[in-house]
Amino acid sequence: MPRGDSGASARRVRLGLGALLALAAMPVPGRAQTLGMRGWAGTTIQAVEMRPLAQVAGGCIEGEACYRPVGEQLSLIGTQDVSLTAWGFGVEGLSATLYMRGRAGMGSDFVWPRSGDHFDALLGYAQWIRSGWTVRLGRQEIRSGLGFASFDGASAGWRVGTWHVEGYGGRSLARGLRDPAYKALEGIEDFLPDQNVYLFGGSARGRVFGVTSTLRYQREILADRSGLAAERASFDAATTLPRVSLAGGIDWDFGRQQPGKSHLTASSPFGGGRWMASVSARRYVPYFSLSTIWGFFEPVAYHEAMARVGWSATTSLGLWASGGWRLYGDTETTTVLRALEDTGWRGEAGAAWSFSPVWTVDGSYRVEWGPGGYLSSGDGSLRWSPSDRYTLAVTGTAFQQIEQYRLGDGRAYGAVFTFDAGLTSRVTFVGGASMIRHSVEGDGVESPWNQARGWSTLRIAIGRDAGRANRMRR
Amino acid sequence: MKLLRLPLPAAITGVALLCLGVGFASGLAPRQEAPFPHQDHAGLFPVCAGCHQGIDNGDVEAMYPAPGQCAGCHDGSDLRRVTWTGPSERVSNVRFAHGDHASELADAGDPATSCASCHADASVGRMAVTDATQLETCWGCHAHQRDDHFADAPAAECASCHVPLAESRFPIERIAALSAPADHNDPDFLASSHGVAAAGDGDGGTRGVDASARCATCHTSDRCVACHVDPGLTEIGAIPAAPLDMEQPEWASAYPTPASHETISFQATHAPEGSSGTAECATCHTSNDCLSCHVEPAPDPVEALLSRSESRAPGVHLEVTSPDTHTSAFFLSSHSNLAAADPGTCATCHTDSYCAQCHDGPADGGYHPTTFVSQHSADAWGRSSECASCHSTAAFCRECHQESGLVSQGRLEAGYHDAEPLWLLRHGGAARQNLESCASCHQQNDCVQCHGVLGAYRVSPHTADFDAEAAWAQSPRTCIACHTSNPLGGG
Repeated sequence: MPRGDSGASARRVRLGLGALLALAAMPVPGRAQTLGMRGWAGTTIQAVEMRPLAQVAGGCIEGEACYRPVGEQLSLIGTQDVSLTAWGFGVEGLSATLYMRGRAGMGSDFVWPRSGDHFDALLGYAQWIRSGWTVRLGRQEIRSGLGFASFDGASAGWRVGTWHVEGYGGRSLARGLRDPAYKALEGIEDFLPDQNVYLFGGSARGRVFGVTSTLRYQREILADRSGLAAERASFDAATTLPRVSLAGGIDWDFGRQQPGKSHLTASSPFGGGRWMASVSARRYVPYFSLSTIWGFFEPVAYHEAMARVGWSATTSLGLWASGGWRLYGDTETTTVLRALEDTGWRGEAGAAWSFSPVWTVDGSYRVEWGPGGYLSSGDGSLRWSPSDRYTLAVTGTAFQQIEQYRLGDGRAYGAVFTFDAGLTSRVTFVGGASMIRHSVEGDGVESPWNQARGWSTLRIAIGRDAGRANRMRR
Repeated sequence: MKLLRLPLPAAITGVALLCLGVGFASGLAPRQEAPFPHQDHAGLFPVCAGCHQGIDNGDVEAMYPAPGQCAGCHDGSDLRRVTWTGPSERVSNVRFAHGDHASELADAGDPATSCASCHADASVGRMAVTDATQLETCWGCHAHQRDDHFADAPAAECASCHVPLAESRFPIERIAALSAPADHNDPDFLASSHGVAAAGDGDGGTRGVDASARCATCHTSDRCVACHVDPGLTEIGAIPAAPLDMEQPEWASAYPTPASHETISFQATHAPEGSSGTAECATCHTSNDCLSCHVEPAPDPVEALLSRSESRAPGVHLEVTSPDTHTSAFFLSSHSNLAAADPGTCATCHTDSYCAQCHDGPADGGYHPTTFVSQHSADAWGRSSECASCHSTAAFCRECHQESGLVSQGRLEAGYHDAEPLWLLRHGGAARQNLESCASCHQQNDCVQCHGVLGAYRVSPHTADFDAEAAWAQSPRTCIACHTSNPLGGG
């Protein structure tokens, strides 16, 4: 990824500002629709102090290089997010959405991921909704059974009754980034075609016999039409029966000519709503663009069965537990010395208890065992919420993490302090600090997980109806 | 004196009628301090119509004698003066016209009805005039019962005898004291049945007829719009509004939850179908209620509703709450299933910006717990949640791993994978199981160094089932990354 690409960043800044000015300059007649705006701005500073690994001579295995932590290094990054949706430009149903992010390293010893990309227009589109039609023009995202896709282009949807059809197309942007892949991944990913990829897709959604389902097809082609980057389809459905909710989905990768991911989940409350249980079956296989060699290495899928149960004993006490077992497909590879594991399992249990109107204690334990990694982790938190506007919490954590294919193991212990303050109805300030210390065992590498982190976000809601701020935490 | 020239019986009859009954129709009644002493004047007025000649023909001006006529005798010399200054306004909601009533009785075969039939005590005499506002007089013929006479009467019959409340000029105390029919105590009355009753049969242009005939007897439309957000209902329009000077009680707005709203799927399926559905919502909801969840610009049905500032009624005042689905401890990790099946439902309350706050690499952690980073590798290996939903595996993972010193830096040695002797000989299976994890540190060229045709070992990464022709047809450039030329042509 190009770092410090100031020319491109400046162009994007100009584009973003230009779009804002264009919106501001649009005529606003009196009656048709009052000018409205909703949004937020968030300023975040994050810091981490850690000891990165570096190759050193005279390794852990005789004759091989070895990785050892170097001295402590500090990295700081500041991020500014601004999200705005405005409407009432004189055309009924017309709105504009912008979501911009700026970031910059702040005197770091090492480079924070993506800090060289100083400006991203995450979203920037004009939308017109009227009489069942939804039309969008600009930078937009689609999150679907096929995952996440973003593009610069146009989309149009038409709703009639419970049916909705949609078509979209434009220049594809790298997943999780906001540039064409060949630009965004330059220097990171080899062999990418030096050209744009265009994305086209469509979906049909409807509700029949109480089942809501969506069928989607999506195709990405190279600009010179010399090949495909992806061609996939998905079908997802959900319904709520009197006692159980069902959700399922499957996708098909035409590029690899095989099914992709699929899942089926059944959830049901019982015991007067105090219990919630769900069982699910899932097939997971990674998706790679056909523009990379990864998919042609033929990754195998795993199939997983999972059960979850939650119990709200009282309004102030809740418990939950989950467990899953998975089986990997045949890798068709020759193993030396010993076979690879081809099964894995995971489990988690937790509880939360509000033992007074202002105090809550919660804790959870998680264990995971499978090819590649083992984790045994527990944590406990004590939260103090003297009012709806303020919360302080301290969390203690301990975990043991073994990664089969690399370094030795050990135990780590940590503490986290967090705060969440609603300074006014529109201004919130959240943040925290954490410290992890690694207790080395055996021949494990010294202190690979030792780290200290700090973060804070000041968030200001803008305009009317800005109440649905994202404050979710898992 | 002109009055004395009238036939006496006619004069007496007229006075009696005027004093006791005429007010029903005219809204006028004697304002005198005490009832007119008809009996004392029995000898003077031989007929009722002498004083009340307007009764039969509906001539309001002639229903009572002019005050000056009393002074013809009560001039202060022979007889004391009287203070009567004419009939006062009479408050009543009874619809009654003597002429019509007499005609109806005649048509019914009772032509002998006289003034005294209703207004005099027959045992005493014609001028023993009683107060016809004693409703028992009416009920003697109409077979109503005093307190619940409206219980069994068909809705349309209220208007046969009563004018709408708005025309009654009832004072506030009298309005508040009006008795309620029994059906008003039905638990479903407010939520549903009162609307059905008001609408009547609803078809054929008769919608609202029952409302105007029955509801309007005791209610003004002001009572309706104290709760109804949309005042445009036909039924409400059929009920006259109170005149500006009519004082009315303070009504508490009440919005009982209809049974339809209690169903488990209501939240997901409440979108109104067509304009009639919207009209039903408008009974209790302003657009502000919708906008407590729906994001603006709002859907068409929401735009069709009045806003709280435009509505006389307060509306339900909904507050934004999470749907039941969101309260599960597992919702955050499983919401993608519902979002994929029905993204339109998510879009009801959430904008793309909302989703992007997590899915676009949040600045402040967002989705993950605060201790996640230091122990994320097991999650990443197992893909309990899909990292690529938010992160670019190549850019996000690899860049951080590189800075942390975890990325292969050009040498493909076992050093990093030091817990696995002979790692290179064993890595193929691990790669097929977790290729995303490989790609979170390695670039493609790391693999091509051995697997490519120009590589050190030329180990094929393909299985026996690999469809080379299809791969070449779809993405020949990618084949060339390892094969340098068309592999189907021997490359």
